[in-house]
Amino acid sequence: MFVSDDGSIFGSVTIGGCIDARVIEEAAASAEPHVVHFQLGDEDAWEIGLTCGGGVDVLVERLSDAAFDVYETAKKELDAGRSVAIATTLKGPNAGERRIVDAAAVQSGDDVYVEVLRPPVTLYVVGAGEVAIPLVAFAKTLGFRTVVIDNRPRFATRERFPDADELRVGIVSEIAGELRYGPTTPVVLVAHDYKVEGPVLQRVLAEDVPYVGLLGSRRRGPAILQLLREDGVAEEQLARVRVPIGLDLGGQSAAEIALSIVAEVVAVMHGRSGAALSARS
Amino acid sequence: MSAPYSDVIREHARHPRNYGALAAPDIRHEDVNPLCGDRVRIEVALARDGTVAEARFQGDLCAIAKASASVLTELIRWRTPGDVTEDELFEALHADIPPARRKCVQLPLEVLQAGIRRRATR
Repeated sequence: MFVSDDGSIFGSVTIGGCIDARVIEEAAASAEPHVVHFQLGDEDAWEIGLTCGGGVDVLVERLSDAAFDVYETAKKELDAGRSVAIATTLKGPNAGERRIVDAAAVQSGDDVYVEVLRPPVTLYVVGAGEVAIPLVAFAKTLGFRTVVIDNRPRFATRERFPDADELRVGIVSEIAGELRYGPTTPVVLVAHDYKVEGPVLQRVLAEDVPYVGLLGSRRRGPAILQLLREDGVAEEQLARVRVPIGLDLGGQSAAEIALSIVAEVVAVMHGRSGAALSARS
Repeated sequence: MSAPYSDVIREHARHPRNYGALAAPDIRHEDVNPLCGDRVRIEVALARDGTVAEARFQGDLCAIAKASASVLTELIRWRTPGDVTEDELFEALHADIPPARRKCVQLPLEVLQAGIRRRATR
């Protein structure tokens, strides 16, 4: 959480904000870097609406120019699509000092906090139909970059997709060959059009993408996969295609289908099934 | 004539001829059917005598449109690019194309013709 001199804030330490008010007070009280331990006893927790309590250590400091330099360097890495780790010294005369580190070589401990920053998720949406519109809006809310791809200029318009970061109109199979793929680029095919689905699937299944979903019924999906099979795509690659797409939310509208798709993307990106938390033991 | 998906259409849709791009085409044009999303780019390299030395196509195409583009790129080889007629193309496909799908056959030829016109006005 960043707190400016005029009291405005950006981000937060905790979800509920109960700690945040005390952090803001600490920030105003001292410019020296120091770690503050906040303990929520059960009684306090109950009073503020929590039932769990717990403790949290928070480094409170005034950001230096050197820290900003480190963040600038980190941003360049993220903009280039690479993860980056920042190690912050928590104690001693160098408290508050930051440096870029190899995340695999340094771990958080009592004296250092390692923050791993990953490039933003870029969601490739193939097909600019009705489902794609709320899908892009949801993705934007989640902080995803979105790239909408279609071969029809009257569908992939800024009016229909005000939240899209990029609109690509052209030969979809060709555009799919130009995109950069990786662990942060899930791909959603909602074109419902075999002439683009086959070539795009062939392209993305050769890549290390975390999610490939295909809008289609239980009848149509296997038919598309069979075409790919005949073209030589391996079974283990075909097994990566999620068709029918989305979690089983039961909705029928475009927005409900879009929600089920984006929910599945989030679940897969976090290695979860998407099942109800209340059903977990 | 036979059903809409003749053997010729099936064969060319599954194994399209001349799919790809040319390094330095003399004619290059792309267009789309705005409703169905069939999109094709035709590229042609001309010989010194003005006939077609090579032709390629790329696109997102339904089976009929892909077959049409594939057959078209075969038909125009060693002919002046504007020679191929619509009737000739339909005949070469050996199919009974219903009215609603005639646009699929026509699109590649229209794109080629537009490319020829654009070259002529350069």
